[in-house]
Amino acid sequence: MEVITKETIRSDKIIKVNPFKLNPWRRLKDLLSGGLMSIVITAILALILIMGMLLLVRSWPIMSTYPLRELLTSTTWRPTRGEFGFAPFIVGSLTVTLIAGFIAVIPALLSGIYLAEYTSRRSRSRLKPLLDLLVGIPSVVYGLWGILFIVPLIRDHAGPWSDRVLGGTFPFFARTNPSGYGLLAGGFVLGVMIFPIIVAVTDEVLRNVPREMRESLQALGATRWEATKVVVFKASLPGVLAAVVLGFSRAFGETLAVMMVVGNNPNIPASLFDTAYPLPALIANNYSEMMSIPMYDSALMGAALLLLVVILFFNVVARLTIMRVSR
Amino acid sequence: MPFQPKMLRIVLLSLTLLLLVACGGSGPADSDSSAADQPPQQETLAISGAFALFPMVTVWAEEYQKVNPNVRFDIQAGGAGKGMTDVLAGAVDIAMVSRELRPIELEQEAYGVPVTIDAVIGTLNANNPYLEQIQTQGISRETATGIWITGDITTWGQALGIDDDTPINVYTRSDASGAGEMWSLFLGGDAQEDVLGTAVNADPGLAEAVRQDPLGVGYNNIGFAYDQTTELPIAGLEIIPIDLNGDGRLSDDEKFYDTRDQLTAAIAVEIYPFPPARVLYLVTKGEPSPTIVDFYRWILNEGQAFVPDAGYVRLNEARLTEALSLLP
Repeated sequence: MEVITKETIRSDKIIKVNPFKLNPWRRLKDLLSGGLMSIVITAILALILIMGMLLLVRSWPIMSTYPLRELLTSTTWRPTRGEFGFAPFIVGSLTVTLIAGFIAVIPALLSGIYLAEYTSRRSRSRLKPLLDLLVGIPSVVYGLWGILFIVPLIRDHAGPWSDRVLGGTFPFFARTNPSGYGLLAGGFVLGVMIFPIIVAVTDEVLRNVPREMRESLQALGATRWEATKVVVFKASLPGVLAAVVLGFSRAFGETLAVMMVVGNNPNIPASLFDTAYPLPALIANNYSEMMSIPMYDSALMGAALLLLVVILFFNVVARLTIMRVSR
Repeated sequence: MPFQPKMLRIVLLSLTLLLLVACGGSGPADSDSSAADQPPQQETLAISGAFALFPMVTVWAEEYQKVNPNVRFDIQAGGAGKGMTDVLAGAVDIAMVSRELRPIELEQEAYGVPVTIDAVIGTLNANNPYLEQIQTQGISRETATGIWITGDITTWGQALGIDDDTPINVYTRSDASGAGEMWSLFLGGDAQEDVLGTAVNADPGLAEAVRQDPLGVGYNNIGFAYDQTTELPIAGLEIIPIDLNGDGRLSDDEKFYDTRDQLTAAIAVEIYPFPPARVLYLVTKGEPSPTIVDFYRWILNEGQAFVPDAGYVRLNEARLTEALSLLP
């Protein structure tokens, strides 16, 4: 068998060598792995399409019975009486996600910057595993923590305080529901859940920026913060945006932890303390009951389709923004 | 050859993948036919459903296994609705259901056998500032309807007929549950969705929500409101006594909430209203298999002996005969 060296590759000889003769296994391996990978990637991409189609087919009964506008804007949800309004769930999902974003994004970005730019290698090697641990905690544990810690905190302290100080002037901060379960609890738990994800991605993105960039800035007399600012805004904004989008997507679809603390009432929340009912919680809570009530099955499939469409839309818009920013 | 180990790994990996795909297609059919050929092997019965029945079925499964070591059990609580969906979809063998079966479920071959009786009871926090008054007055059915169904009653003052505007924090179940449906039926609603309140997931979750909130009211299955060992209400919870005749005070024959035994005795003689007391069912899709029939028969005979200790109410003779006659 011919031994391949740099010399053989450089010389013209290699062209005349039949790779099959050279090592038939290599050719086979190449074909096999290439084929396998393309099959897998096509299958995964097709999955989204199949999911969407399946949900569309299953939700067709309700889509064809009620006008889409009514389904999306009606606020009454009484499946046993044939009233299916998705508006409370859409609003619930959006508000919980937004509150989580308000709570998590800025601290998470700052933490990511700190990890990537300010810590010593040693303390970073201690902080990073802790952060990864936070991502890995099962959501039911976050939910329990919400019930045992956040809900009483809101009920006994945050709620009364907000009502006293802000409630009079801004109805949004009025304590309409004294139980502690509700939007704020859901948003807070969710915020804590998406925090480590945003931190981790921001950290990775910033660490990929070439070292020379900072060094040359600091050589010109910039402080570390000034250098970071330039790096963040010029070189890694798209990546940082992607981190935030990832966090938001996770927040929008997260089910269990939110469901445990959000109060699950199909109403349009008017205050931070009102109960809400996000789409994933609707599906998780009621999927079990669907077969007994006409159209319920179809309505829940519709909710799932809605969730898929919103997440897709979310990602496409984010992708477009990132592409514009990075140009 | 320097490439061999890596290549071998890839070939192995693809073979494994192929195998997995192949198994996915033919696996269930194979196991079905072999199970039919030689029945008396280890058999596992998967059960899921109502929180109300979960503690009871766990006891039964344990005792039954002592006599029939060949049968194993895999029992999960997830609410009556989940059990019903699982069994009709073929995901489990038996569903625990804590409400009457619906016509649409019977159409899909749901086959229910009554096994025991229990009840849903109203709960409130043990540190409720009005506890003493509630326990001497009781809450009438109309008042409870005002709190949970119509939403007319929102303060403790309105509920107790005093001058006080401290709010009542109302809790209900968020998952599809027999308890929610029974509570709704008792209060004049049609379905669980008629019950108002901040909705919390699962029986233990609802108990915990009320246990944490001094002004909270909720409802639970007996098994989750009373402590299994002490038979008293679980620490931090108290039971809302129902003023059955609506005379504004709790007379002696309406006081049976101190221990679980007193309450189950009241359910057995039907002083406690049906609903929220109700018959609990085990449900299969179509007629039960011989193994399941044997388990059912054991529950309806020997198994009834364990019912009082677990905090449930025995089926009376008439109901037992009826249940036995349902077995093929």
